[in-house]
Amino acid sequence: MKSIIAILVMALSFSVQAEISVVVNPANANPVSADDLNRLFLGRATSFADGSKATPLNMAEGQAARDQFDNKVLNRSSAQLKAYWSKLVFTGKGTPPKELADDAAVKAAVAADTMAIGYISSSSVDGSVKVVATF
Amino acid sequence: MIKKSLIALAIAGLATPAFADITINGFASIKAGMTMGSDEELYGYTDNLDFKNESLMALQVRSDLGEKLSVTAQMMGRGNEDFDIGFEWAFLSYHLNDNTTINAGRLRAPFYKYSEYMDVGYAYDWSRVPRSVYGLGFDNIEGVSLYRTGIIGGFDSTIMAMIGGYNGTTGLGDGKLEGFYGASWELSRDWYNFRVAYYTADATLTFANESVNNLLAGLNGNGLSALASEISFDKDKGTFIGIGGGIDRENLVIVAEFNRTEVENTFFANRDNYFVSVAYRLGSVTPYISYEWQRHDAKPEIYQPFQNLAATPLAPLYFGTVATVQSQQVEADTLNIGLRYDFHPSAAFKLQYTSQKNKLTDDTVGLLVAGVDLVF
Repeated sequence: MKSIIAILVMALSFSVQAEISVVVNPANANPVSADDLNRLFLGRATSFADGSKATPLNMAEGQAARDQFDNKVLNRSSAQLKAYWSKLVFTGKGTPPKELADDAAVKAAVAADTMAIGYISSSSVDGSVKVVATF
Repeated sequence: MIKKSLIALAIAGLATPAFADITINGFASIKAGMTMGSDEELYGYTDNLDFKNESLMALQVRSDLGEKLSVTAQMMGRGNEDFDIGFEWAFLSYHLNDNTTINAGRLRAPFYKYSEYMDVGYAYDWSRVPRSVYGLGFDNIEGVSLYRTGIIGGFDSTIMAMIGGYNGTTGLGDGKLEGFYGASWELSRDWYNFRVAYYTADATLTFANESVNNLLAGLNGNGLSALASEISFDKDKGTFIGIGGGIDRENLVIVAEFNRTEVENTFFANRDNYFVSVAYRLGSVTPYISYEWQRHDAKPEIYQPFQNLAATPLAPLYFGTVATVQSQQVEADTLNIGLRYDFHPSAAFKLQYTSQKNKLTDDTVGLLVAGVDLVF
C-alpha cells in the first residue's frame, strides 16, 4: 500500500516537473526566443524571425505540458489565458491556436508542416522534430 | 447513377467554400441581485431578488471566407430586454496584412478600455464594468474601423480608428450621431499599459423626457429660440476624451481610467468620470476593490443671461429652464468590493457589493449581486 502511494506521489511530482521542449520542423532554421513564443502563442505575432508564416499548435487543456507551458512560458494561469482569448475572440480580433490532443499529435503535425511550432514533453522528442527551447 | 454523382458533386461543391472554417463561440452571464433597502434602486435592481436584470446570453458565429475575408455576427439576448435576440455586432473583416485589419458593419465603439468586451463578464474580474465611468448610454457604431497592431520602441501597440454613425436610443432619448470619428491607442509592455482615446460626433436627439420637449416648445413659441437651442441637441458637436492605464505584476492588478464628455450648445453637463480598481490574485480566487467618481457639472451659463425673465410673465419658462439645466448635475461616488472565483475551466463565480452615494442628496444605495460568467 505504502509503495503504491510512493509510486503515485513520484508519478505526480514527475508529471509536474517534467521538462517540455518547444519543437519545430527540422527544415525550420529560425531561432525562437521566449518573447517570440509569447507573441506567437498569444496571437501578437504570426511569423518567424525570417518573416515566414508561423502556425502555433497548442496542447489540449488539462494536459500537463499545457499547464506547464501556460505557467512557465506565458506566465499566466489557464483561467487568465481563457479570459485573454475571450477578449480577442468576442471582439473579432483573433482566434486561439489550434489545440491537439497529445504529444504524438503535436509531433506528427510539426513533422509534417514546416510552418508549425508546438511543444511536447522532452521525453517524447525524437528525430522527426527539432528542439528550439526547453522549459 | 448520374443523379447520385450530381448530388455528390453538389455536396462537395457546397462543403468546400460555404462551410469552410465556421467557428461558433458563446458567452453567458447569470446574475442574481437585490438592493439593501425598500426605496433603493440601482442599475435596474430593486429590493426584490432579481435573476434577469443583468443576465445575458450570446452566440458568435465567425466564418472565414478565405482570401483574407471573414464575417462575424454576435447575437445577444439580455435579460432586461426579455432575452430578445439582437445583433450586437455584425461585421466583415478584411485582413490587409498580419498587423492590419479593416472591419465594416455594426461595431462596438471603443470609448473605454473594456468597451469592446464589456458584455463578456468572464474577460474581467468585476461583476460589471464601472457603470458610472462607462455611462454614455450607447455602445455600438455602424461604420468602418481600422485595427492595427505593432511594436513601437519595445511596446506592443494597438491602434483602433473608427468612422461611422449611430441611430438609436441614448441616455437622454432617441437620437443619432453623425460624422462619428476618432481613435484609441493602447501601449503595453511587460506588466504595464497605457491608453488614450478621442472620439467626436454631431449629436441630434429627441428627449425622452416630455417636460423638456414641452419646455422647448414654450421657449420657441415665446421668442426664446436662442435659449431653446442652447438646450436641445441639433447637430451639436460632442467630444469624448479618455485616458487609462494599468499594471499587472506578480498577482497584483491595478486599473484606472478617466474620461471627459462634452456636447457644445446643449444642456449636456460637462461630465468627468473616473475609477481606480485594485485586485489581487490568490490562486483561483481574486478579491478586488474599486472606486468610481462621477462629476457632471451642469451649465448655469445657459440660463444666467436670461435672469431678468424671472420678473416677467415668462418666469415659468425661465424657472423651467433652470430646473432642466440643473437636472444634469450629478455628483456620486461608488464603492465596489467583490471577488471572482474560477471554480471551473470555463466559468467564474462572482460576488460583488456596491455602495453608491449621491453626494447632492446624501442618499446611499447598497446592491449585492452574485452570479456566474462563462464562455464556450
